[in-house]
Formats: sequence, structure tokens, C-alpha cells
Amino acid sequence: MIDLLNLVTILLMAAVTYFTRVGGYVLLRNRTLSARATAVMEAAPGCVLISVIAPAFVADRPADLLGLAVTVLCATRLSMLPTVLLGIASTGAARYLLG
Amino acid sequence: MTIIQAPALAANAGATTGSEFRRGIAACMPVLLGIVPYGLVLGAQAARKSLSGLEVPLMTGLNFAGGSEFAAIQLWSSPPHILLIVAVTLLVNSRHLLMGAALAPYLRHLSKRKAFASLFFMCDESWAMSLADSKERAATGTSLPAFSLPYYMGASLAVYVAWVAFTTAGALLGPVMGDIDALGFDMAFPAVFLVLMRGMWTTAAAARPWLVSLVVAAVTHLVLPGAWFIAAGAASGLAAAYYLAGDA
Repeated sequence: MIDLLNLVTILLMAAVTYFTRVGGYVLLRNRTLSARATAVMEAAPGCVLISVIAPAFVADRPADLLGLAVTVLCATRLSMLPTVLLGIASTGAARYLLG
Repeated sequence: MTIIQAPALAANAGATTGSEFRRGIAACMPVLLGIVPYGLVLGAQAARKSLSGLEVPLMTGLNFAGGSEFAAIQLWSSPPHILLIVAVTLLVNSRHLLMGAALAPYLRHLSKRKAFASLFFMCDESWAMSLADSKERAATGTSLPAFSLPYYMGASLAVYVAWVAFTTAGALLGPVMGDIDALGFDMAFPAVFLVLMRGMWTTAAAARPWLVSLVVAAVTHLVLPGAWFIAAGAASGLAAAYYLAGDA
């Protein structure tokens, strides 16, 4: 039920994540970060998240792009639950109607 | 995940550990509602990448950082690209470094052991609520420490239990639900990521690196096979952030 490589990946993920949780407390609590370092660290999560979903923005099905457009619009004004539900519903509907 | 307001409640001397713990749980109830579908979707997608009903809670229980888990599952293959997944996990969770640094001044009254143990459970929600709560308590001039450990643990553990439970449920129910992509369920990922990014949004100027990442990652995806688009997008965005911070 547990694949060895999956287990190794999971344990390494856990280790780096725990490092980020205690690292700020241990390493940064008595230090002032440069404005540049702060800007890079603040931008990092968004840069990674948008990169991971970037393929959705260049999908070759019009229905997928339409669903994404609705999802982006929802994400700017609604909370998690309605955005996820409306994103799924609009994409499913667009695929049904446009193929 | 979303930043939410701590409930207005002045520090009171009659508060017990139990009542503070319950106050923490109550404060994050609205967050728990959002976690249910989010956890189910993550678990179901993980099951489609053939992670087992044991591996999913192992990941969500030991890692306990939803954004990185969504990114990891998106990238998961058999066998997994270990270094890619670990690097993405580190980058997505690098914000914890800043969060821990911001919370550190309020943790001085805790022993190292307690601080290290409680930081394991620090998530966006419990961090945001506890920081807001600590600032509020500090402003009331209480003799108690501004940071309430039981309040923080109540909020953190409620999110933890819900996250592990619902991701596991998603992993077990996912295969029963069959192929859900035709119904548009694959859009759940972009939806979750976009809402997470909305929560991180400060100014349009601060978001310029994100645009760089998006364009570079999209173009890379069109011209190169495999998962290179993530590394290319993330690296170009960080370079842009470094460069743009110069003229701030």
C-alpha cells in the first residue's frame, strides 16, 4: 500500500516543509531582511503556483479557456468553495456545449 | 488559504487553557467549511495518480501544507520526480519562513521544545488568526502573554484534523466517483490556486513577477515536453522579483 519512492518523496516533502516552518523562527527572528530578499520571498509562492497551472492558460480547447476565464473571474471576488464549484460547473458545461 | 479575521475577544484573566483552545476551534470554523471540498478534491486527484489510501494521509499529515500538496499531486508520476516535487514544495512553502519570523517575537515565553512542536502545525489560517489575536491582546494591555498557545493550537489542530480526514476521504471516495475530468473537475486545481493567489495579492506592482512566471511557463509548456515549464516559470518570476525590487 506504500510505494518506497512515494514514501521517500513524502518524507522529503515533510522535511523541507518543516524546515520552512521553524526556519523563520530560528534564522530570521533577530534579523532584518533586505527589501530585495523580502520581495523575492513574498513573490515566490505565487510564481510557483501560477507556473504550475500555466498550461491551463494555453489549452487548445475553447471550452477549457472559457471555463478558465469564468474561474479567474470567480477567484477575484469569491471565496474558495464557490470559486471551486463555479469553476468546475462552468468548465463542465462549456465542454458539454462546445465539445 | 484565506486570511480571516480573528474574532473580537479581549484577553480576559478568567480564560482557561480549555476555553482558549475552544475559542481557537470556534474561530476557524468558517475555514473548515472551505477545507472540505478542497480536501476531497486533493484526495481524489491523488488517488487518480495512484497514491494509496495510506499514502495520502501520510502526505497530508506529515507535510500539512495544502498548496504544496496540490502542486505535488499535479506533478506526481510513477515513479515520482522526487527532486522536482521537493523543490516545488520548498518554493511554495517558503512563505512559512516569513510567517515564522513574524510570529517569533510573540513566542519568547515558550520553551524551545514547545515552540518547535507547535510550529509544526502552523498553517496560513492559524498563523493569521493567532497573529491578529496576539496583536489585539497586546493592545488590551493584559498581563498575560499576548500569544495564546491554546488558542493557536485549537485553531491549528482543527484545521489539521479536518485536512487529514477529508483528504483521506477523497482518496477513498475518488476511485468510486470514476473519471470526473469530463465534468470539469480538473478545473478545481486552477480554481484553488487562483484563490490562494488572491489571498497573497497585495498590489498590482507586487504581482508583476507572477505575470512573468505565467508567460514564461506557458511558452515553455508549448515548446518543451515534460515539467520544465514549472522550473522555468518559477525561476524567471523570482529573477523578475529580484530585478523589480531594485526600483521600488
